[in-house]
Amino acid sequence: MKEPTIKLLCLFCLLLLPVRTLAGEVKLSVAASLKDVVNELADGFAKKHPDVRFQKNYGASGALAKQIENGAPSDVFISANLEWMSYLKNKKLMDAPSIGTFTYNTLVFIGSSGKKVSGMNDLFKLHSIAVGSPKSVPAGAYAMEAIKRAGKDKELENKLVMARDARDCLTYAERGEVDGAFVYRTDALQAKKATVLFTVSQGLYPPVIYPMALTVTGAKNSDAASFYRFLQSAEAKVVLSKYGFALK
Amino acid sequence: MLALTSTDYDAIRLSIKVAAAAMAVSLPFGVAFAYLLTFGDFKGKVLLEVVVNLPLTLPPVVIGYLLLLLLGKNGWLGSLLDAAGIRLIFTWKAAVIASACVGFPLLVRSIRIGMESIDMQLIQASRTLGATWHDTLVTVILPLSLHGIIAGMSLMFARSLGEFGATIIVAGNIPGVTQTIPLAIYDYASSPTSEDLALSLCAVSIAISVVVLFSHEVFDKKLARRR
Repeated sequence: MKEPTIKLLCLFCLLLLPVRTLAGEVKLSVAASLKDVVNELADGFAKKHPDVRFQKNYGASGALAKQIENGAPSDVFISANLEWMSYLKNKKLMDAPSIGTFTYNTLVFIGSSGKKVSGMNDLFKLHSIAVGSPKSVPAGAYAMEAIKRAGKDKELENKLVMARDARDCLTYAERGEVDGAFVYRTDALQAKKATVLFTVSQGLYPPVIYPMALTVTGAKNSDAASFYRFLQSAEAKVVLSKYGFALK
Repeated sequence: MLALTSTDYDAIRLSIKVAAAAMAVSLPFGVAFAYLLTFGDFKGKVLLEVVVNLPLTLPPVVIGYLLLLLLGKNGWLGSLLDAAGIRLIFTWKAAVIASACVGFPLLVRSIRIGMESIDMQLIQASRTLGATWHDTLVTVILPLSLHGIIAGMSLMFARSLGEFGATIIVAGNIPGVTQTIPLAIYDYASSPTSEDLALSLCAVSIAISVVVLFSHEVFDKKLARRR
């Protein structure tokens, strides 16, 4: 290799080195289902701290966890389930003492208001019911758990339509492709045509917890730490309840 | 080590079934469109070309969503089918339609390349000898563009095996019913405990694709030698 080529190559490699975090930047990795509420929270925080900038990364909890595991820069991780949080905790990538609960959600059943369905016992009347694919969608896993605990799994076996995510469940129910769908209350609030037919009894499924934590690098970023405290504040709780999240 | 569950075998079977059906269903249309675009001379040809190639550039999710709007219970085609008692959405047939739409441009393109490589004099000769257009099609054009047709079919098959975005919207992700290999991998990749299962299915996926592409190469070589 000629010398100028080597020099160019070195320069190129230098360009690839990670840039040091700019002062006042907070990098968020947040479950996609929390996009709207976290956007509003971040805007609220930025109003009081104009020097802080956010880099928001929304996606499936699993994808985000894999990104963090593979070295993607991130200060705060908010997951849609406990599984991926403990996965990263076990890899020593999370600041363990900071792990806490961001918020809770509840499961509801939606459908067109014409349907006479007021509880799990009425579901047999329907032809098709959408749930998130239980392996990849937390809301779907909770719904399947509720169906099983209510003893309806045999009865509904051939009626279930597994969807890619909660948003698709909502679309199917809105368009009438299915007779009803299990979704979170927060998603049901977005529905225009479908209405909440009943709330699934909390006794039928484990509490839906969104855990949050600072990453090991995030714990060293003072802006990230102060945003993290803001997420636990009373002010944040007001925003959360506005979006339909449960506070306990 | 391969670790496959019974729903994984279902997914493998279903993937092959869907890909084969998508290929078979779209082949006649593919030949027809390729013929029109190669030999046809009509107004709006450019427009037809754009429409045929559109799925190549559109995100598959868009195609899936449009198909849902079209074939859904309240869609204009779906409501007609519904009245006739035919339901496509959330069945394996919807997966076939999704795959066929996404792979169609690849099929047409390959067949077209085959047809364009035919010596025009051969076609004209057949016409002067009294062949009608469909005689020419069956006895001259189709045999001479066979390598293009084979290439299109294998591309279509391979593309259908990998179809994810459109399929998951119109067919859902129902194990044993509409869950193809990519959909099953998507499910597995979403949980930290099922990495092995995801990797096993990835291996199967690679193996099938290699077999398809390899057999196409072999077949194409044989075809070339015959000529």
